Amino acid sequence: MKIIVLVKQVPDPEAVITVSAKGGPTGNSDGQGLEIENKYVLNFFDQLSVEEAIRIKEKLGLSIVTVISLGPRRAVESLRTCLAMGADRVILVNDPALENSDAYTIAKLLAQFIKKELPDIILCGKESMDDNACQVGPAVAEFLGLPHVSTIIKLEIGNNKTALVERQIEGGKEIVTCSLPAVFTTQKGINEPRIPLVTGVMKAMRAKIEEINLATLGLNAADVEPKTRILKYYQPPKRPKVKIIEGELPDKIKTLIKLLREEAKVI
Amino acid sequence: MDIWIFAEHKDGNLKKVVLELLSVGRTWAEKSRSKLCAVILGHQLEPLTKILAEYADKVYSFDDPDLVHYNSDTYVTLIANLVKEHRPDILLCGATLLGKDLFARLATRLGTGLATDCTGITVGEDGRMIAKRPIYGGKVFVDIAYDDSRPQMASIRPNIFTMMTPAEPKQGEVIKIKPDINPNMVRTKILDVVKTTQSQVDLTEAEYIVSAGRGIKSPENFKMIEELAEVIGATVGASRAVVDNKWRSYDDQVGKSGKTVSPKLYIACGISGAIHHIMGMDTSKVIVAINKDPDAIIFNYADYGVVDDLFKVVPLMIDELSKIKSV
Repeated sequence: MKIIVLVKQVPDPEAVITVSAKGGPTGNSDGQGLEIENKYVLNFFDQLSVEEAIRIKEKLGLSIVTVISLGPRRAVESLRTCLAMGADRVILVNDPALENSDAYTIAKLLAQFIKKELPDIILCGKESMDDNACQVGPAVAEFLGLPHVSTIIKLEIGNNKTALVERQIEGGKEIVTCSLPAVFTTQKGINEPRIPLVTGVMKAMRAKIEEINLATLGLNAADVEPKTRILKYYQPPKRPKVKIIEGELPDKIKTLIKLLREEAKVI
Repeated sequence: MDIWIFAEHKDGNLKKVVLELLSVGRTWAEKSRSKLCAVILGHQLEPLTKILAEYADKVYSFDDPDLVHYNSDTYVTLIANLVKEHRPDILLCGATLLGKDLFARLATRLGTGLATDCTGITVGEDGRMIAKRPIYGGKVFVDIAYDDSRPQMASIRPNIFTMMTPAEPKQGEVIKIKPDINPNMVRTKILDVVKTTQSQVDLTEAEYIVSAGRGIKSPENFKMIEELAEVIGATVGASRAVVDNKWRSYDDQVGKSGKTVSPKLYIACGISGAIHHIMGMDTSKVIVAINKDPDAIIFNYADYGVVDDLFKVVPLMIDELSKIKSV
């Protein structure tokens, strides 16, 4: 089995992110940008994909797991994590022209790479914790003309080029069959990602990371014009200070309910 | 300028978010003297197209037994071909799992821009749309603008717009289209659908949510939370700690790696307010926090707070609300 996993390095969920004044090419036309605390991790939902790929390899044997990521050079750290977990080959796509990419252009260029590899299975997280777009997986499938199943919580590779999949839907799950090759996006619950062994980590630290750019993929900047752009950043609206209900029970509960009915008008 | 809404439905009912979009869509269409159209796929759709026609000028209905279950192969092809024929300026759907899945693929087929899980939409006089949405799990919000490709697409979070029954229902034209489905184009097939939760309303679509965290101390105590939820007509939610302890299923988890919710009212019982939880419920209209720790971080994000033991507070709330209900 040839398995390709698409991953992304994202800010740690605990990282402080604020809107700031920032000029230059990465700022928007308002002269705004983001200040992101320097703590980055492999996107959680992509980690599930890497783990799933390695489990398939361990189960079926004779498989290669290739992990590819689009990002700045620091994203190499996340690729090393994938190697430590057991990936065979990792590739970084790094090009200044990709600074303002949106999901459409990211999917387009990843598809360009995948086209030449002819994998059986393509895995990625259902969502990245930075843009939360849930778009790249199905978009890659569309560019490749392949079927896809999103938010999967179980994947069984059968014979004759089919997969049996469980996917999460609102209030339940669907059991689906899908022809291979296909794209699957992974959801929490599919597996528990392994913690790499020290031997894996050491191997990953020594590994040379393949790096490619648009030219390697046979693309130029005009091919990867985004369809959407960010006009403005906002801090989330801050709520006014909390109203702590004073008094004793049960009276303060009566007060709370009254406020919810008459002031907030939600009941 | 034409505004199109994808009309998702389940178990014979239009999704509430669809009615919310039709309501606001109609306002936009009237203001800019444009057409509002609905697109629906499925089988035996007459009761639903009837409702859609009260809001929309045109309802495009693909009615076929093969369309009963969502399938990206057929849905994307049918909608894309229709869109290419009629060239709407704007195409919207609810940001449900189906909506996000469909639109991600559809936007790529159409070669056009898409904004996911939007919390605001503005449409200019020139027909240019600006979508507001959260990124980094809600730590930052952005305004998204589109290039010149059309339609401009967006999936909208439930409970952002208000559903209104039309004062003067339209009598939109219902156009039934016989879908041309080539069985060879269908590469994924649903074998079974399994319900794993008792909740009638999914957390992501719920208007009212009662949620509990580690302070609930044991799974049995959730009975009290369920009772409170029932009195209000709420869906029950849980924090990551509760789900990790296996006291509730992952379906109930509210938070960054769980579900993002946007109800009218969110009642948080015994939840400390860890950032990954906050990120999942911060766009709730009104937040009530009940926690016996006066320094609990949740009070920094709530509108109303009760610093007291939830085991005393919740039964009293159930009592008081039941009294009001029976009046």
